Amino acid sequence: MRPPPGRQRLSREFIARHQRARIVAALAEETMARGYRAVTVADIVRRAGIARNTFYDNFSSKEDCFLATQDFAVEESLQRVVDAAAKADGWEARTVAGLGAFLRYVSDEPALARTCIVEALSAGEAAQERYEQSLQAFIPLLRKGREYSDHGDDLPDTLEETIVGGIFWVIYRRIVLGEAERIESLLPDLVDFALTPYIGAESAQRATARL
Amino acid sequence: MSYDPADAPAEYPPELSRLPPGRHGLPRDFVIHNQRERLIAGLAEAVAEKGYGGTTIADITRHAAVSRRTFYEHFEGKDECFVAAFDMVIEQLRERVEAAYQAEDEWADGIRAGIAAMLSFLAAEPNLARLAMVEALVAGPVVVERYDAGVQTLLPYLEEGRKGRSKAVLDRLSDSTEEALVGGMVSLVARRIVAGQTDELESLLPDLVEFTLAPYVGNDEAAQIARA
Repeated sequence: MRPPPGRQRLSREFIARHQRARIVAALAEETMARGYRAVTVADIVRRAGIARNTFYDNFSSKEDCFLATQDFAVEESLQRVVDAAAKADGWEARTVAGLGAFLRYVSDEPALARTCIVEALSAGEAAQERYEQSLQAFIPLLRKGREYSDHGDDLPDTLEETIVGGIFWVIYRRIVLGEAERIESLLPDLVDFALTPYIGAESAQRATARL
Repeated sequence: MSYDPADAPAEYPPELSRLPPGRHGLPRDFVIHNQRERLIAGLAEAVAEKGYGGTTIADITRHAAVSRRTFYEHFEGKDECFVAAFDMVIEQLRERVEAAYQAEDEWADGIRAGIAAMLSFLAAEPNLARLAMVEALVAGPVVVERYDAGVQTLLPYLEEGRKGRSKAVLDRLSDSTEEALVGGMVSLVARRIVAGQTDELESLLPDLVEFTLAPYVGNDEAAQIARA
């Protein structure tokens, strides 16, 4: 295939990916600024500095773009969590590292965090479902803790769901209250909350004391 | 504590379920109050059927068996009717939790009774459960704020569990302990409702009791109380 006219050296694929990322970032910024419901495709297009056609080349609607934004943020944050956890030794340390990486992501990306943790809940059924699925991704990481627990078999079946739900609720509240930038300071409390059911209060405290 | 479905706000004596037009001999205040409650129940049924987004005023009035004009005498629109319905469900939940909690002498028993009351109410009222725990979030920012406020009203029950604990326990609890516990509990309940398992909510009682008591009384004692 012949390259497009002009001095373009970037592959079509790269440009397409880059465009999508820019549109997603624009949606998140607009959502943070005015709330998802009030955001129009025109707002997104203006913020991203692209043509309206380019938006529709990538997404069928504002809703479609919102779901893509959720996918983008979930994938990126989960990647950070997994990378951080992989560098640590043992389940305890991996949980601490993973949770730390997640909180850092939330504070580094306030627009994406607000969009995906707060606005997603009221952005319609599909968005809500996507949100629930994203929480689900954290469950197996935590569930590993049962192998390191003296009473792993006796723990309630729903434990991971309640821990993840609780952590997300605390983060949600901080964002709603406009305290997203202080979110990393929650790390010791949330680590303690997540580890205690598995390894007991004393061991969990030893893990948080190092933070 | 078990919840008697006969108390259900969505259910009315048969003679009231369809007021005949014209002179039915009921006092006007009563009729107005009754109409409002019927509209709220009608909305809950319509939302359960079509979701909040798909529900129209016509759906609400059909389920409530009242005229469109009557609807607009009570509410400006769908959103206002939804907020009224949401407030009613939360108020009922709050009353039941409070009564169940207060009926117990021990804090841990009160927590268990409060959670049981919440679960049994929601299980007995699947339409209202869905409305308050799932659709409320879809209904928009105004209701989301009320949802948050409703969840926050549960915090003091758990905070009460700090009283008389040793310094070691208190040091371990953080400013966000109660929020995380309540958030975890509510999100699990909401997930089950979304998954269409509202009728199984009461089976979550031991898990939720163990989860919420553990930070205060320790893992072992919490497990014992939960499975007692």
